[in-house]
This record gives sequence, C-alpha cells and structure tokens, in this order.
Amino acid sequence: MTVVRTTEPPRLPVRDKAAARARGWGGVSPMLTRLAAERATGVLVREHGTLHLAEGLVVQAESRHAPGLGALLTAHGTLAPEAWHQAVNEAADHHRVGRHLVDAGHLPLGALELCHLAALYDAAYFVLAPSSTPPRFRYGPVHWLGSVRPVPVEALERETLRRRDVLHRIWPHPGMDGIPLARTHLPGTPALTRRQLAVLEMVDGVRTATDIARALGHLAFHTLVDVRRLTAAGVVTTAAPARVQPPPGGTRIASDRGQPPPPDQPPTGHAQLPGRGRPPQGRGQPHRPDPAGADGYAPPVPAEPLPPDPHITLLKRLRDALEAL
Amino acid sequence: MPGIDECLLEAMRLPGARGAALIDWTSGLALGTVGESPGGDQETAAAEAAEIARLAAEQHAFAPDDDPEAPAAADTELPVEDLIVSNRDSYHVLRFVGSSFDGSVFLHLWLARAEGNLALARIRLGEMAERLVLA
Repeated sequence: MTVVRTTEPPRLPVRDKAAARARGWGGVSPMLTRLAAERATGVLVREHGTLHLAEGLVVQAESRHAPGLGALLTAHGTLAPEAWHQAVNEAADHHRVGRHLVDAGHLPLGALELCHLAALYDAAYFVLAPSSTPPRFRYGPVHWLGSVRPVPVEALERETLRRRDVLHRIWPHPGMDGIPLARTHLPGTPALTRRQLAVLEMVDGVRTATDIARALGHLAFHTLVDVRRLTAAGVVTTAAPARVQPPPGGTRIASDRGQPPPPDQPPTGHAQLPGRGRPPQGRGQPHRPDPAGADGYAPPVPAEPLPPDPHITLLKRLRDALEAL
Repeated sequence: MPGIDECLLEAMRLPGARGAALIDWTSGLALGTVGESPGGDQETAAAEAAEIARLAAEQHAFAPDDDPEAPAAADTELPVEDLIVSNRDSYHVLRFVGSSFDGSVFLHLWLARAEGNLALARIRLGEMAERLVLA
C-alpha cells in the first residue's frame, strides 16, 4: 500500500457570523467596537501592540510579536532598505509613506496593498490577543504610513477570532506560541514543504515561533501555522515542557494531546490529527476577552501562574462591563 | 499599476465572470472580493478555495521537474501556476500570485460555464497576477 507521507492540517474554519451578531459586539475588544462606532482617529494601545485608527477604520497594526511592513518588504528584496528608509524620512511627516513608495516607483500598488494587509492582519492577531492590562486610546493624527487600505474593525476582529480557530484546529496547545521550540528527532519524519523546512532549520531549542518569523522575514501568524503543523506531525515540540504551565482551561488538552504521537504511529493521516472535525470552540470555552481563555496566543507564562483570584476575576468583569458601556 | 480592487474588477470584465477574490491560502482570508461569492458566503468560499489551493501548492506530485534544489530561492517560486475546477454550470480558476515577500496569495475567478472562455480567462488571470505585484 502506498502511504502518502504528508501532514494534512484540518480544514480552515469559518466563523458563525450569526452567533457573533447575537453577542452584540465582536467579542474581542469592546473599546475597539466603541471607537469604530464613533469613527475615532488615533492609536489604541493594548498589552501586545497598537492599532492605529483613522475615521474608525484600522489603518495599521503593530506588535512586537510580528514583523512590521518595512521588515517584510525588505527581508526578501521586494524593496531596497534604502528606499524604505528614504520614504519614511521624506513622507512620514505627511502621513503618506505608502503613497510615496508607489509614486516614486519603488513598489507596485498591488504589492504594497498585499503586503500591507498581510502585515496588518498579522500584527492585529497579536494585538487583539487576550491581555491582562486595560487598553488605552490616544486621539491623534493618522499613522505615518498613511491610509493604504483601511480595514473595518468588525472584519479585523472576526478574522482574528477565525485565526485562533485555525491554530486551535491544527494543534490545540495555546501555550506553545511564546516559548522556545526544539526538534524531536523521532523516526518517520513526514514530507515537509519548503516553508516548513525553512522553519525547521531555525528550531534550535532557544528560538520561539516569533523569533523564527523575524529571522526568516516571514509573517508571524503563518509561522505559527507552520510550527503547529510541525508539532502535529511530531517533528517539533516545546523545548522546556517543565517550565510551561498551560492556562487552567488547557490542562486537559496538554495532558492528553500535548505530546507528540508515539513513534510507532506515523504522525500522518486523518486519524492522528487533533481537533479534526471538532467545532471551532472545541474546548467548550466561548471566545471572550478573558485572559484565562488564551486561545491561540498566550504571552510568556510565568513560572508559577497564580491561581484565579475571585477578586481579580470580579475586577476584570467590571472592567469589561465598563468598557462595553 | 493596478491595486487589488482594479485587478479584481479587471477579472470581472472577462466574459461570464460571476465573482473574483484575492485570497491568502495559509489563513483563508479574502483580501479582496468583487461580485458574487460561490455558495453565497464570501468567508466560506475563501476558506474552501484556500484549502484546495494549499493542497495543490504543497503536494510534491504537482511540482515541476526542473527544480533541482536551491531552497533559498524557493520563497518566490510557485510550484503550481493555476488550478481549474469545473462543474456542470461553472468554472473556477485559481491563479497563484508570486510575491517576493512572505505571502501565500491566489486569485480566484468564478466563471459561468455557458459564457465563460476558460482559455482566455487562464491567460488573462496570469497576466493580472503578474501585474499585481510587478511594476
């Protein structure tokens, strides 16, 4: 019998829009929903990054976990670094760096729009990750890049939630995105794509998925997908599992699904794929802006996570309710 | 020098065009859509098209022969140019867009079978995909 040795991830999820509407708001950031409604211009600062708004639309997102537009454009020679710096120097004051790059002939408009959207959704995924600090908003001028292709808040939130589902379906281990990765060296390595091979070469027991994305000039979310697929295939594992304390909701999953498949079972095929065919919110936890539900991305977990304090939980619920007003 | 919208509108001018979209196959996100969506829902159509595009792009069986090694240059090279799915009443043409930055993007054109010209659509989509990212 011929065995197809590839790692097939589960199907891409589609969010239930009726359920999202029933909740009344996007379910990611009530403050952002309100800012969109009042067509605010300025910058929303959250724990993992910033969202820049113009007239209530998101024009740019920046996170330390994701490579910026400049890094993406210059990493693979799409744009010469000098051209990028020159455009930033000359046009940042007028908030039209993007336009300047196109007008000066450095970059086709299509490539700028593609890369800009890719970078925006990429960073926004991390910015909108559950946070433990309250968001702040500063009214102010438009981002220096200018308005290349603004994205409605609703679309950004829905896509962010869908991306959490994408990762969760491939390998349900929310804690693994921010911690160092190591190779497993198990026999029976499945056939890997060139992208996966490039990622695998960077896995050294020290780098996290974010470090790998930055080193390769890849989109951070796409790298998370690569890493989770490699993990599901049993090729990559977290470097120091002893240090990792999954959040309370993830304990069961970490215990019965967090280990690579045993070597006598080829880690391929449909049966071994975790989460295949399960509903998007397979752990029975609804997506809420709640730090405990750190689905898809979790910030580096402290060595000794605090038990959930009822007072803190109450305060967080109060905060969320106030933000929703 | 067209942007995403101009590119999709140009695709819609092809005879029989019902809908066009620009989709990222890793995430399943539609970066732009024009016209109708197959199945009626844009997000579902994008996710489903992304599935088949990713499968085609990643299977070694569909990669060209003259591909000795050089994984360094592989980022910009697409193993597959396009995919055609036909059914009783329509054609779907999926054209991969080569981009030098880390993107995984393709054009999805939905054509009514009675009016559509598959050969023409294939040639035009190839030109559009090139113009979108090349000056």
